[in-house]
Amino acid sequence: MSVAAGGGESKLDKKKLMMYGIGGGLVGIYLAGILNSALDTNYFSFLAGLGVIAAIVMGAEAVRMVCAYGIGTGVPSIGLMAMGMGLVAAMFGLSIGGIAGPIIGLVVAVAIGYFAGAMANKIIKMNIPVMEETLAMLAAAGAITLIGLSVLVAGRIDYELIMSSVINTGYIGVLFIAGSLAILHPFNANLGPDETQDRTLVHSISTGALAMIAGGIASILIIGSAGVLTVLIAAVVWLYAFRWYFQLVKRDSAGVVGTGLLPKGEM
Amino acid sequence: MTFDASTALYVIEIVIGGLLVGVGVHFVPVGGAPAAMAQATGVGTGTVQLAAGSGLTGLLSAGLMMSVTDNILLIVISGAVGAMIMIDATMVVGNWSYIYGVGVPPASGKVDYDPITKEPQPPYVSPGTVGHGVPTVSYVSGTIGGFLGGAGGSLIYYALMNINHNPGLSGMFAIGIFVVNAVLASYNIQGTIEGFHDPKFKRVPAAFQACLAASLVIGIIAVLISGGA
Repeated sequence: MSVAAGGGESKLDKKKLMMYGIGGGLVGIYLAGILNSALDTNYFSFLAGLGVIAAIVMGAEAVRMVCAYGIGTGVPSIGLMAMGMGLVAAMFGLSIGGIAGPIIGLVVAVAIGYFAGAMANKIIKMNIPVMEETLAMLAAAGAITLIGLSVLVAGRIDYELIMSSVINTGYIGVLFIAGSLAILHPFNANLGPDETQDRTLVHSISTGALAMIAGGIASILIIGSAGVLTVLIAAVVWLYAFRWYFQLVKRDSAGVVGTGLLPKGEM
Repeated sequence: MTFDASTALYVIEIVIGGLLVGVGVHFVPVGGAPAAMAQATGVGTGTVQLAAGSGLTGLLSAGLMMSVTDNILLIVISGAVGAMIMIDATMVVGNWSYIYGVGVPPASGKVDYDPITKEPQPPYVSPGTVGHGVPTVSYVSGTIGGFLGGAGGSLIYYALMNINHNPGLSGMFAIGIFVVNAVLASYNIQGTIEGFHDPKFKRVPAAFQACLAASLVIGIIAVLISGGA
Protein backbone atom coordinates (compact mmCIF):
# COMPACT_ATOMS: atom_id res chain seq x y z
CA MET A 1 0.00 0.00 0.00
CA SER A 2 2.81 2.40 -0.70
CA VAL A 3 0.78 3.97 -3.44
CA ALA A 4 -0.57 7.35 -2.42
CA ALA A 5 -4.23 6.74 -1.82
CA GLY A 6 -5.46 10.30 -1.62
CA GLY A 7 -7.22 12.12 -4.32
CA GLY A 8 -9.06 15.36 -4.85
CA GLU A 9 -8.26 18.83 -3.69
CA SER A 10 -9.41 20.18 -0.36
CA LYS A 11 -12.15 22.73 -0.79
CA LEU A 12 -12.57 23.17 2.93
CA ASP A 13 -9.54 24.53 4.70
CA LYS A 14 -8.19 22.27 7.44
CA LYS A 15 -7.86 25.19 9.88
CA LYS A 16 -11.56 25.90 9.50
CA LEU A 17 -12.36 22.22 10.01
CA MET A 18 -10.18 22.12 13.12
CA MET A 19 -11.99 25.14 14.50
CA TYR A 20 -15.37 23.58 13.78
CA GLY A 21 -14.27 20.22 15.18
CA ILE A 22 -12.66 21.40 18.39
CA GLY A 23 -15.04 24.33 18.94
CA GLY A 24 -18.15 22.40 18.03
CA GLY A 25 -17.07 19.42 20.09
CA LEU A 26 -16.35 21.41 23.22
CA VAL A 27 -19.48 23.58 22.86
CA GLY A 28 -21.63 20.46 22.46
CA ILE A 29 -20.09 18.72 25.45
CA TYR A 30 -20.32 21.76 27.70
CA LEU A 31 -23.83 22.71 26.62
CA ALA A 32 -24.97 19.15 27.31
CA GLY A 33 -23.24 18.98 30.68
CA ILE A 34 -24.21 22.46 31.90
CA LEU A 35 -27.80 22.47 30.65
CA ASN A 36 -28.34 19.00 32.06
CA SER A 37 -27.07 19.85 35.52
CA ALA A 38 -28.60 23.34 35.60
CA LEU A 39 -32.08 22.11 34.68
CA ASP A 40 -31.62 18.79 36.49
CA THR A 41 -32.59 16.74 33.46
CA ASN A 42 -30.85 14.46 30.95
CA TYR A 43 -32.68 15.56 27.83
CA PHE A 44 -29.83 17.76 26.59
CA SER A 45 -27.39 14.82 26.39
CA PHE A 46 -27.88 14.66 22.62
CA LEU A 47 -25.95 17.96 22.31
CA ALA A 48 -22.78 16.10 23.33
CA GLY A 49 -23.48 13.69 20.49
CA LEU A 50 -23.72 16.55 17.99
CA GLY A 51 -20.38 17.83 19.32
CA VAL A 52 -18.94 14.36 18.75
CA ILE A 53 -20.05 14.45 15.11
CA ALA A 54 -18.16 17.74 14.64
CA ALA A 55 -15.03 16.18 16.13
CA ILE A 56 -15.42 13.07 13.98
CA VAL A 57 -15.55 15.20 10.83
CA MET A 58 -12.26 16.79 11.92
CA GLY A 59 -10.79 13.34 12.62
CA ALA A 60 -11.88 12.05 9.22
CA GLU A 61 -10.16 15.02 7.56
CA ALA A 62 -6.97 14.24 9.50
CA VAL A 63 -7.13 10.58 8.39
CA ARG A 64 -7.61 11.85 4.84
CA MET A 65 -4.58 14.13 5.06
CA VAL A 66 -2.16 11.58 6.49
CA CYS A 67 -3.33 8.52 4.60
CA ALA A 68 -2.93 10.38 1.30
CA TYR A 69 0.79 9.79 1.82
CA GLY A 70 0.39 6.02 1.93
CA ILE A 71 1.33 4.96 5.44
CA GLY A 72 1.69 1.30 4.49
CA THR A 73 -0.35 -0.14 7.33
CA GLY A 74 -3.85 0.50 6.11
CA VAL A 75 -6.24 3.18 7.23
CA PRO A 76 -7.72 1.36 10.25
CA SER A 77 -4.44 1.42 12.17
CA ILE A 78 -4.40 5.18 12.39
CA GLY A 79 -8.02 5.37 13.52
CA LEU A 80 -7.36 2.93 16.35
CA MET A 81 -4.21 4.80 17.30
CA ALA A 82 -6.22 8.04 17.44
CA MET A 83 -8.65 6.47 19.85
CA GLY A 84 -5.86 4.90 21.91
CA MET A 85 -4.23 8.28 22.42
CA GLY A 86 -7.60 9.97 22.84
CA LEU A 87 -8.69 7.49 25.51
CA VAL A 88 -5.64 8.06 27.68
CA ALA A 89 -5.97 11.84 27.35
CA ALA A 90 -9.75 11.87 27.83
CA MET A 91 -9.70 9.85 31.05
CA PHE A 92 -6.76 11.85 32.37
CA GLY A 93 -8.59 15.13 31.71
CA LEU A 94 -11.85 13.95 33.24
CA SER A 95 -10.17 12.46 36.30
CA ILE A 96 -8.12 15.49 37.29
CA GLY A 97 -10.04 18.35 35.70
CA GLY A 98 -13.58 18.24 37.02
CA ILE A 99 -15.63 20.61 34.90
CA ALA A 100 -12.50 21.71 33.01
CA GLY A 101 -11.85 18.03 32.19
CA PRO A 102 -12.75 18.12 28.50
CA ILE A 103 -10.37 21.04 27.86
CA ILE A 104 -7.51 19.45 29.81
CA GLY A 105 -8.15 16.17 27.99
CA LEU A 106 -8.03 17.97 24.66
CA VAL A 107 -4.75 19.72 25.47
CA VAL A 108 -3.14 16.49 26.67
CA ALA A 109 -4.41 14.69 23.57
CA VAL A 110 -2.86 17.27 21.26
CA ALA A 111 0.44 16.95 23.15
CA ILE A 112 0.46 13.12 23.00
CA GLY A 113 -0.52 13.16 19.33
CA TYR A 114 2.16 15.65 18.39
CA PHE A 115 4.72 13.65 20.34
CA ALA A 116 3.73 10.34 18.73
CA GLY A 117 3.90 12.02 15.32
CA ALA A 118 7.37 13.34 16.09
CA MET A 119 8.43 9.81 17.13
CA ALA A 120 7.09 8.39 13.86
CA ASN A 121 8.87 11.02 11.80
CA LYS A 122 12.15 11.44 13.67
CA ILE A 123 12.90 7.93 14.94
CA ILE A 124 10.98 5.62 12.62
CA LYS A 125 11.74 8.04 9.76
CA MET A 126 8.39 7.94 8.02
CA ASN A 127 9.12 11.43 6.68
CA ILE A 128 5.52 12.44 6.27
CA PRO A 129 5.48 16.23 6.60
CA VAL A 130 1.98 16.42 8.08
CA MET A 131 2.49 13.53 10.54
CA GLU A 132 2.82 15.56 13.77
CA GLU A 133 -0.03 17.87 12.89
CA THR A 134 -2.43 15.15 11.81
CA LEU A 135 -1.72 12.85 14.74
CA ALA A 136 -2.36 15.80 17.07
CA MET A 137 -5.64 16.45 15.26
CA LEU A 138 -6.53 12.77 15.40
CA ALA A 139 -5.77 12.45 19.10
CA ALA A 140 -7.85 15.58 19.74
CA ALA A 141 -10.71 14.13 17.71
CA GLY A 142 -10.38 10.83 19.60
CA ALA A 143 -10.41 12.55 22.99
CA ILE A 144 -13.44 14.74 22.16
CA THR A 145 -15.25 11.73 20.72
CA LEU A 146 -14.70 9.63 23.85
CA ILE A 147 -15.47 12.46 26.27
CA GLY A 148 -18.53 13.45 24.26
CA LEU A 149 -19.89 9.92 23.99
CA SER A 150 -19.22 9.36 27.70
CA VAL A 151 -21.10 12.55 28.60
CA LEU A 152 -23.84 11.46 26.21
CA VAL A 153 -24.21 8.17 28.08
CA ALA A 154 -23.75 9.50 31.61
CA GLY A 155 -25.59 12.81 31.16
CA ARG A 156 -23.11 14.86 33.20
CA ILE A 157 -19.45 15.96 33.00
CA ASP A 158 -18.63 14.07 36.16
CA TYR A 159 -15.77 11.60 36.44
CA GLU A 160 -17.34 9.47 39.19
CA LEU A 161 -20.59 9.19 37.25
CA ILE A 162 -18.76 8.40 34.00
CA MET A 163 -16.73 5.74 35.83
CA SER A 164 -19.81 4.01 37.18
CA SER A 165 -22.04 4.33 34.12
CA VAL A 166 -19.60 4.11 31.18
CA ILE A 167 -16.42 2.35 32.32
CA ASN A 168 -17.70 -0.13 34.89
CA THR A 169 -20.65 -1.13 32.72
CA GLY A 170 -18.30 -1.87 29.82
CA TYR A 171 -20.00 0.59 27.45
CA ILE A 172 -16.58 2.20 27.00
CA GLY A 173 -15.67 -0.75 24.76
CA VAL A 174 -18.62 -0.04 22.47
CA LEU A 175 -17.88 3.69 22.44
CA PHE A 176 -14.18 3.04 21.71
CA ILE A 177 -14.87 0.89 18.66
CA ALA A 178 -17.87 2.89 17.40
CA GLY A 179 -15.86 6.11 17.68
CA SER A 180 -12.75 4.75 15.99
CA LEU A 181 -14.80 3.24 13.15
CA ALA A 182 -16.57 6.56 12.69
CA ILE A 183 -13.20 8.31 12.30
CA LEU A 184 -11.41 5.74 10.13
CA HIS A 185 -14.22 4.39 7.96
CA PRO A 186 -15.04 7.45 5.79
CA PHE A 187 -11.61 7.67 4.17
CA ASN A 188 -11.23 3.90 4.11
CA ALA A 189 -14.46 3.63 2.13
CA ASN A 190 -13.86 6.59 -0.19
CA LEU A 191 -10.12 6.42 -0.89
CA GLY A 192 -8.77 6.19 -4.37
CA PRO A 193 -7.77 8.54 -7.16
CA ASP A 194 -11.33 9.89 -7.42
CA GLU A 195 -11.65 10.67 -3.70
CA THR A 196 -13.30 14.03 -3.05
CA GLN A 197 -13.16 15.89 0.24
CA ASP A 198 -16.85 16.72 0.51
CA ARG A 199 -17.91 13.13 -0.13
CA THR A 200 -15.54 11.78 2.53
CA LEU A 201 -16.56 14.40 5.08
CA VAL A 202 -20.28 13.99 4.47
CA HIS A 203 -19.74 10.28 4.92
CA SER A 204 -18.06 11.04 8.26
CA ILE A 205 -21.21 12.90 9.39
CA SER A 206 -23.21 9.74 8.77
CA THR A 207 -20.69 7.46 10.55
CA GLY A 208 -20.59 9.97 13.41
CA ALA A 209 -24.37 9.74 13.65
CA LEU A 210 -24.04 5.95 13.83
CA ALA A 211 -21.59 6.29 16.73
CA MET A 212 -24.10 8.62 18.36
CA ILE A 213 -26.84 6.00 17.90
CA ALA A 214 -24.59 3.40 19.57
CA GLY A 215 -23.98 5.79 22.48
CA GLY A 216 -27.68 6.61 22.64
CA ILE A 217 -28.67 2.96 22.88
CA ALA A 218 -26.11 2.48 25.66
CA SER A 219 -27.49 5.53 27.45
CA ILE A 220 -31.08 4.29 27.51
CA LEU A 221 -30.18 1.98 30.39
CA ILE A 222 -28.43 4.82 32.25
CA ILE A 223 -30.56 7.92 31.70
CA GLY A 224 -33.79 6.39 30.43
CA SER A 225 -36.03 8.19 27.99
CA ALA A 226 -33.46 10.95 27.37
CA GLY A 227 -31.45 8.23 25.65
CA VAL A 228 -34.35 7.55 23.31
CA LEU A 229 -34.32 11.23 22.30
CA THR A 230 -30.58 10.93 21.53
CA VAL A 231 -31.18 7.88 19.35
CA LEU A 232 -34.03 9.59 17.47
CA ILE A 233 -32.02 12.76 16.78
CA ALA A 234 -29.02 10.70 15.71
CA ALA A 235 -31.23 8.65 13.38
CA VAL A 236 -32.52 11.83 11.74
CA VAL A 237 -28.96 13.12 11.33
CA TRP A 238 -27.87 9.79 9.88
CA LEU A 239 -30.76 9.66 7.42
CA TYR A 240 -30.05 13.21 6.23
CA ALA A 241 -26.28 12.70 6.00
CA PHE A 242 -26.56 9.35 4.28
CA ARG A 243 -28.96 10.69 1.62
CA TRP A 244 -26.58 13.60 1.07
CA TYR A 245 -23.68 11.14 0.83
CA PHE A 246 -25.54 9.02 -1.68
CA GLN A 247 -26.18 12.09 -3.83
CA LEU A 248 -22.45 12.86 -3.79
CA VAL A 249 -21.67 9.25 -4.71
CA LYS A 250 -23.99 9.58 -7.69
CA ARG A 251 -22.36 12.91 -8.59
CA ASP A 252 -18.83 11.44 -8.48
CA SER A 253 -19.51 8.12 -10.16
CA ALA A 254 -19.56 7.54 -13.89
CA GLY A 255 -22.97 5.97 -13.61
CA VAL A 256 -25.21 4.22 -11.09
CA VAL A 257 -27.16 1.40 -12.73
CA GLY A 258 -28.88 -1.70 -11.46
CA THR A 259 -27.26 -4.76 -13.02
CA GLY A 260 -29.62 -7.35 -11.61
CA LEU A 261 -28.52 -10.83 -10.58
CA LEU A 262 -26.36 -13.11 -12.68
CA PRO A 263 -28.45 -15.12 -15.15
CA LYS A 264 -28.96 -18.74 -14.14
CA GLY A 265 -26.55 -21.27 -15.59
CA GLU A 266 -23.64 -18.88 -16.06
CA MET A 267 -22.19 -19.18 -12.56
CA MET B 1 -2.22 10.74 43.98
CA THR B 2 1.34 11.22 45.12
CA PHE B 3 4.27 10.36 42.94
CA ASP B 4 6.46 8.02 44.99
CA ALA B 5 8.82 5.11 44.40
CA SER B 6 6.05 2.59 43.76
CA THR B 7 4.49 4.91 41.18
CA ALA B 8 7.82 5.11 39.40
CA LEU B 9 7.92 1.32 39.43
CA TYR B 10 4.48 1.17 37.78
CA VAL B 11 5.62 3.62 35.10
CA ILE B 12 8.62 1.37 34.45
CA GLU B 13 6.33 -1.66 34.20
CA ILE B 14 4.12 0.17 31.71
CA VAL B 15 7.17 1.18 29.65
CA ILE B 16 8.50 -2.40 29.63
CA GLY B 17 5.04 -3.60 28.64
CA GLY B 18 4.90 -1.09 25.80
CA LEU B 19 8.34 -2.14 24.60
CA LEU B 20 7.36 -5.83 24.66
CA VAL B 21 4.31 -4.99 22.54
CA GLY B 22 6.37 -2.89 20.12
CA VAL B 23 9.04 -5.56 19.69
CA GLY B 24 6.46 -8.39 19.64
CA VAL B 25 4.75 -6.88 16.61
CA HIS B 26 7.95 -7.41 14.62
CA PHE B 27 7.73 -11.17 15.18
CA VAL B 28 4.16 -11.58 13.96
CA PRO B 29 3.89 -12.57 10.26
CA VAL B 30 1.70 -9.72 9.02
CA GLY B 31 0.95 -9.99 5.34
CA GLY B 32 -1.52 -7.17 4.92
CA ALA B 33 -3.61 -6.83 1.76
CA PRO B 34 -1.17 -8.75 -0.52
CA ALA B 35 -1.33 -11.76 1.79
CA ALA B 36 -5.11 -11.64 1.71
CA MET B 37 -4.75 -12.41 -2.00
CA ALA B 38 -2.09 -15.09 -1.23
CA GLN B 39 0.60 -12.97 -2.89
CA ALA B 40 2.77 -12.41 0.17
CA THR B 41 3.78 -14.49 3.15
CA GLY B 42 1.88 -14.04 6.38
CA VAL B 43 -1.67 -13.75 7.63
CA GLY B 44 -3.78 -11.59 5.35
CA THR B 45 -4.66 -8.71 7.60
CA GLY B 46 -3.07 -5.67 9.21
CA THR B 47 -0.73 -5.49 12.16
CA VAL B 48 -3.21 -3.79 14.40
CA GLN B 49 -5.89 -6.38 13.82
CA LEU B 50 -3.51 -9.26 14.55
CA ALA B 51 -1.87 -7.53 17.50
CA ALA B 52 -5.21 -6.43 18.91
CA GLY B 53 -6.75 -9.88 18.45
CA SER B 54 -3.98 -11.70 20.24
CA GLY B 55 -3.26 -8.91 22.72
CA LEU B 56 -6.85 -8.61 23.85
CA THR B 57 -7.12 -12.35 24.30
CA GLY B 58 -3.97 -12.13 26.40
CA LEU B 59 -5.57 -9.34 28.39
CA LEU B 60 -8.63 -11.50 29.02
CA SER B 61 -6.60 -14.42 30.32
CA ALA B 62 -4.44 -12.06 32.39
CA GLY B 63 -7.57 -10.49 33.87
CA LEU B 64 -8.95 -13.91 34.69
CA MET B 65 -5.71 -14.88 36.42
CA MET B 66 -5.61 -11.56 38.24
CA SER B 67 -9.03 -12.25 39.74
CA VAL B 68 -7.59 -15.22 41.65
CA THR B 69 -4.00 -14.17 42.38
CA ASP B 70 -1.79 -11.10 42.44
CA ASN B 71 1.40 -12.96 41.59
CA ILE B 72 2.88 -10.87 38.76
CA LEU B 73 4.65 -13.84 37.16
CA LEU B 74 1.49 -15.93 36.90
CA ILE B 75 -0.51 -13.02 35.51
CA VAL B 76 2.06 -12.09 32.88
CA ILE B 77 2.62 -15.69 31.79
CA SER B 78 -1.08 -16.38 31.59
CA GLY B 79 -1.53 -13.27 29.44
CA ALA B 80 1.35 -14.37 27.22
CA VAL B 81 -0.06 -17.88 26.80
CA GLY B 82 -3.51 -16.51 25.99
CA ALA B 83 -2.06 -14.33 23.25
CA MET B 84 0.06 -17.22 21.92
CA ILE B 85 -2.97 -19.48 21.65
CA MET B 86 -4.93 -16.80 19.82
CA ILE B 87 -2.22 -15.93 17.31
CA ASP B 88 -1.47 -19.65 16.75
CA ALA B 89 -5.13 -20.36 16.09
CA THR B 90 -5.23 -17.45 13.65
CA MET B 91 -2.16 -18.70 11.80
CA VAL B 92 -3.37 -22.32 11.66
CA VAL B 93 -6.77 -21.38 10.30
CA GLY B 94 -5.12 -18.91 7.92
CA ASN B 95 -2.87 -21.71 6.67
CA TRP B 96 -5.87 -24.01 6.15
CA SER B 97 -7.42 -21.33 3.96
CA TYR B 98 -4.22 -20.87 1.98
CA ILE B 99 -3.47 -24.59 1.59
CA TYR B 100 -6.94 -26.07 1.06
CA GLY B 101 -8.81 -23.02 -0.14
CA VAL B 102 -6.40 -21.07 -2.35
CA GLY B 103 -4.25 -24.12 -3.08
CA VAL B 104 -0.77 -22.73 -2.35
CA PRO B 105 1.96 -24.27 -0.19
CA PRO B 106 3.22 -22.08 2.67
CA ALA B 107 6.51 -20.58 1.49
CA SER B 108 8.69 -17.65 2.38
CA GLY B 109 9.72 -15.18 -0.29
CA LYS B 110 12.43 -13.54 1.80
CA VAL B 111 14.82 -16.46 2.47
CA ASP B 112 16.13 -19.31 0.29
CA TYR B 113 16.02 -21.88 3.08
CA ASP B 114 13.63 -21.99 5.99
CA PRO B 115 15.97 -21.33 8.96
CA ILE B 116 14.16 -23.94 11.08
CA THR B 117 13.27 -26.82 8.76
CA LYS B 118 16.11 -26.10 6.27
CA GLU B 119 13.63 -26.73 3.45
CA PRO B 120 14.30 -24.78 0.24
CA GLN B 121 11.69 -22.08 -0.34
CA PRO B 122 12.02 -20.69 -3.91
CA PRO B 123 10.66 -23.82 -5.69
CA TYR B 124 7.40 -23.43 -3.78
CA VAL B 125 6.92 -19.69 -4.32
CA SER B 126 4.43 -19.09 -7.13
CA PRO B 127 5.75 -16.84 -9.91
CA GLY B 128 4.72 -13.23 -9.47
CA THR B 129 4.28 -13.50 -5.72
CA VAL B 130 6.61 -12.94 -2.78
CA GLY B 131 5.59 -16.09 -0.95
CA HIS B 132 2.30 -17.20 0.56
CA GLY B 133 0.84 -18.88 3.60
CA VAL B 134 2.55 -19.13 6.96
CA PRO B 135 5.73 -21.28 6.68
CA THR B 136 7.27 -22.92 9.75
CA VAL B 137 9.69 -20.14 10.53
CA SER B 138 6.97 -17.50 10.38
CA TYR B 139 4.77 -19.67 12.54
CA VAL B 140 7.42 -20.00 15.23
CA SER B 141 8.17 -16.30 14.94
CA GLY B 142 4.48 -15.44 15.29
CA THR B 143 4.24 -17.56 18.42
CA ILE B 144 7.16 -15.64 19.93
CA GLY B 145 5.42 -12.41 18.92
CA GLY B 146 2.23 -13.49 20.63
CA PHE B 147 4.22 -14.31 23.77
CA LEU B 148 5.87 -10.87 23.84
CA GLY B 149 2.70 -8.97 22.99
CA GLY B 150 0.56 -10.83 25.51
CA ALA B 151 3.20 -10.47 28.23
CA GLY B 152 3.49 -6.75 27.48
CA GLY B 153 -0.25 -6.16 27.51
CA SER B 154 -0.74 -8.02 30.78
CA LEU B 155 2.20 -6.21 32.39
CA ILE B 156 0.54 -2.88 31.52
CA TYR B 157 -2.76 -4.19 32.87
CA TYR B 158 -1.12 -5.42 36.07
CA ALA B 159 0.56 -2.06 36.72
CA LEU B 160 -2.64 -0.11 36.08
CA MET B 161 -4.75 -2.43 38.24
CA ASN B 162 -2.41 -1.79 41.14
CA ILE B 163 -2.92 1.94 40.74
CA ASN B 164 -6.62 2.37 40.15
CA HIS B 165 -8.09 -1.04 41.15
CA ASN B 166 -10.67 -0.74 38.40
CA PRO B 167 -10.66 -3.60 35.87
CA GLY B 168 -12.69 -1.68 33.28
CA LEU B 169 -10.47 1.38 33.32
CA SER B 170 -7.26 -0.65 33.46
CA GLY B 171 -8.38 -2.89 30.63
CA MET B 172 -9.31 -0.01 28.35
CA PHE B 173 -6.12 1.83 29.20
CA ALA B 174 -4.07 -1.26 28.50
CA ILE B 175 -5.79 -1.45 25.11
CA GLY B 176 -5.06 2.23 24.48
CA ILE B 177 -1.35 1.90 25.30
CA PHE B 178 -1.27 -1.38 23.38
CA VAL B 179 -2.62 0.07 20.12
CA VAL B 180 -0.36 3.13 20.24
CA ASN B 181 2.72 0.91 20.53
CA ALA B 182 1.45 -1.62 18.02
CA VAL B 183 0.75 1.08 15.44
CA LEU B 184 4.12 2.79 15.95
CA ALA B 185 5.79 -0.59 15.48
CA SER B 186 3.74 -1.36 12.40
CA TYR B 187 4.78 1.96 10.86
CA ASN B 188 8.32 0.79 11.43
CA ILE B 189 7.79 -2.35 9.35
CA GLN B 190 5.66 -0.44 6.84
CA GLY B 191 2.75 -2.75 7.29
CA THR B 192 4.15 -6.17 6.42
CA ILE B 193 6.81 -8.52 7.79
CA GLU B 194 7.41 -12.27 7.62
CA GLY B 195 8.98 -12.80 11.03
CA PHE B 196 12.42 -12.65 12.62
CA HIS B 197 14.12 -13.91 9.44
CA ASP B 198 12.78 -10.95 7.43
CA PRO B 199 15.39 -8.26 6.60
CA LYS B 200 12.93 -5.67 7.94
CA PHE B 201 13.42 -7.19 11.39
CA LYS B 202 16.71 -5.29 11.61
CA ARG B 203 14.68 -2.12 12.09
CA VAL B 204 13.65 -3.17 15.61
CA PRO B 205 15.93 -0.59 17.31
CA ALA B 206 13.98 2.29 15.77
CA ALA B 207 10.69 0.93 17.04
CA PHE B 208 12.34 0.26 20.40
CA GLN B 209 13.25 3.94 20.77
CA ALA B 210 9.90 5.22 19.53
CA CYS B 211 7.91 2.87 21.76
CA LEU B 212 10.16 3.68 24.73
CA ALA B 213 9.48 7.39 24.39
CA ALA B 214 5.76 7.03 23.64
CA SER B 215 5.15 4.53 26.46
CA LEU B 216 7.01 6.73 28.92
CA VAL B 217 4.83 9.75 28.17
CA ILE B 218 1.58 7.79 28.17
CA GLY B 219 2.66 5.79 31.24
CA ILE B 220 3.28 8.91 33.30
CA ILE B 221 -0.15 10.23 32.34
CA ALA B 222 -1.80 6.87 32.98
CA VAL B 223 -0.50 6.44 36.55
CA LEU B 224 -1.91 9.84 37.53
CA ILE B 225 -5.48 8.73 36.90
CA SER B 226 -7.48 7.59 39.88
CA GLY B 227 -9.93 4.73 39.72
CA GLY B 228 -12.88 6.77 40.91
CA ALA B 229 -15.50 5.47 43.29
